[in-house]
Amino acid sequence: MIFTIFKKELKDTLRDRRTIIAMIVVPVLVFPILLGLSTTVTKYFAEKQKEEVLNIAVISSDSDNQFTQRLSGMPEEMGPKTLVFREDTLGLKEEIQDDSIQLAFVIPSDFDAQQDSNQQSTIQVYHKGVNVGNKDRVRTYLSEIENSFLLERFDRLNLDKTLIEPINEEYIDISSRKEVIGKLAGGFLPYLFIIFGFIGCMYPAIDLFTGEKERKTLETLLTTPVPRWKILVGKMLVIVLSGIAAASFALLGMFVGLRVFDVASNPEIKAIIDGILTPTFILALLILLLPLTIFFAGIMIPATIYAKSFKEAQSVLTPVNFIIIMPTFVGFLPNIELDYTTAFIPIVNIVLATKEIVAGTIDPILMVISFMTMVAVAAISVLFSYKRFGKESNIIS
Amino acid sequence: MIQVQNIRKEFELTKKQQKENNTTDKVALAVKDVSFECQPGRIFSLLGPNGAGKTTTLRMLAGILKPTQGSIRINDIDIQKNPNEAKKDIGFLTGSTGLYERLTANEIIEYFAKLYGVSKSDYEERKEHLYTLLGMHDFQEKRIGRLSTGMKQKVSIARTMIHDPKVVIFDEPTSGLDVITAENIIKLISDCKTQGKTVIFSSHIMSEVDLLCDDLAIIHKGKIVLRNTMQEFRDNMQTDSLTAEFIRVINENN
Repeated sequence: MIFTIFKKELKDTLRDRRTIIAMIVVPVLVFPILLGLSTTVTKYFAEKQKEEVLNIAVISSDSDNQFTQRLSGMPEEMGPKTLVFREDTLGLKEEIQDDSIQLAFVIPSDFDAQQDSNQQSTIQVYHKGVNVGNKDRVRTYLSEIENSFLLERFDRLNLDKTLIEPINEEYIDISSRKEVIGKLAGGFLPYLFIIFGFIGCMYPAIDLFTGEKERKTLETLLTTPVPRWKILVGKMLVIVLSGIAAASFALLGMFVGLRVFDVASNPEIKAIIDGILTPTFILALLILLLPLTIFFAGIMIPATIYAKSFKEAQSVLTPVNFIIIMPTFVGFLPNIELDYTTAFIPIVNIVLATKEIVAGTIDPILMVISFMTMVAVAAISVLFSYKRFGKESNIIS
Repeated sequence: MIQVQNIRKEFELTKKQQKENNTTDKVALAVKDVSFECQPGRIFSLLGPNGAGKTTTLRMLAGILKPTQGSIRINDIDIQKNPNEAKKDIGFLTGSTGLYERLTANEIIEYFAKLYGVSKSDYEERKEHLYTLLGMHDFQEKRIGRLSTGMKQKVSIARTMIHDPKVVIFDEPTSGLDVITAENIIKLISDCKTQGKTVIFSSHIMSEVDLLCDDLAIIHKGKIVLRNTMQEFRDNMQTDSLTAEFIRVINENN
């Protein structure tokens, strides 16, 4: 009987446009679109910045000082530029403000003398702080020029450069590449699964409970000789399946986005995500997703059975969505790991366990504890649902 | 057969409802000490104004609501003790019955046949009989959302009757329907009687009651204020029409 209800509810759900959008279309498309857009936009602005010809004003009483010479000699690959020579800073701020000049260097008149006598010179750089790219270009120029002066000084003084670098540190990282990226970027994956898992559960839950109440089909269903718990389980299975499907489609979207459309320009990230998409990882993830989505269904059913309209159900579930998403941010924090405390905290344990799975460092005992904790809270939520579903005031509109 | 003995139904009131109803009572009494019997092959009509307790009573008979006290037996099965066994014999139809808009007529009928445990051969036979009787062949593959109100009501009837119930409950079955669709329902109720089924229906349309009814009870403010056979009700009328007599009984018990 449960299967009959499940089959019918699934068919009904799959014919609902809203559910299809939340369960399949959005999860599949959102990742490639976001990734594609962000990489394209970043690339476009980086290229634009690189090719932009900067008008740089050099203010000095001596236009042939060593700084200006070295600045003029910077190769084109470091960014195209046009130098404008000035003797004073009159009207300079206005010109930078209206963007006719992007940068200005104010060089002291005795710059050459200071350098020749191994003294420090102060150079003022006028720029517009909001143009982050211009500041980066200045830093590149200055670092290059400063380095050339430094080397000349060492030659002149007959000194070794190691004199100013008493310690040469060498880091030997014993973590695997997968581990490093897993711990750093692994927090994103559970965020993706939890949010899509929740949204995937939400629309079928509203449709199968509030919707049935609104359409007055629930009353008819309750006149049939089917125990209420079987009706509940049949409907719940559809909600759980939708949540898992939405999370899986998000994973598929990520895979398709990276592989087929080649939206991730960084080959390292691409290789890591390809590495994540192994049967073991997917299986482990599904094991964790199952109690999680049952838990979602278990907390959504009482809300949707209580609500009298689709709108009311949505407004009840939206704050729940925020509460559920909050623990996923733990995944982005660097120093919180899955241990014998966090493994007992629902949702947080799923987030941290996913990170560990991505990194390949999951402790099987902690994985089992996390799973069992989620199974326990899922069971409590199912019992709660059953109690609410049995309440007459909830089922009769 | 339906045997109803001293049923009572209380609904818990939320604080909001208490405020709205301007009461400090924690419960609202919808039905009190209602008793009656409906015999097979006879049509029993439950009459009453809006809010009298008709729908609550019928929902208890159908097993949707549980009585706070009292007992209901459907063909000698106690619906409180054995609800799923009792429900196998019941068909329930209301004027506002909803259908799954995204499913076809065939899918709905098959679904309910399965829920009632109808065997495949019985299902095919009954489906054919009902589709022919109701003229449903032309739209059996169409989704409910694309059907007219009349077609939808035919699907509802087929859904109610697919398991050949011995007891049929109609809660204001013609309410809000056009004349032709209402006529189909009247014919169905009449056919049920011919087939020896136990039929109970609620209505406040006296012409329907006059046409169909063998026994009747008038419910007002949750209490049965009159119970009789239709013939005796007609014989003892103090006014010149059924409607006037109905109003008189209600006013007398206000």
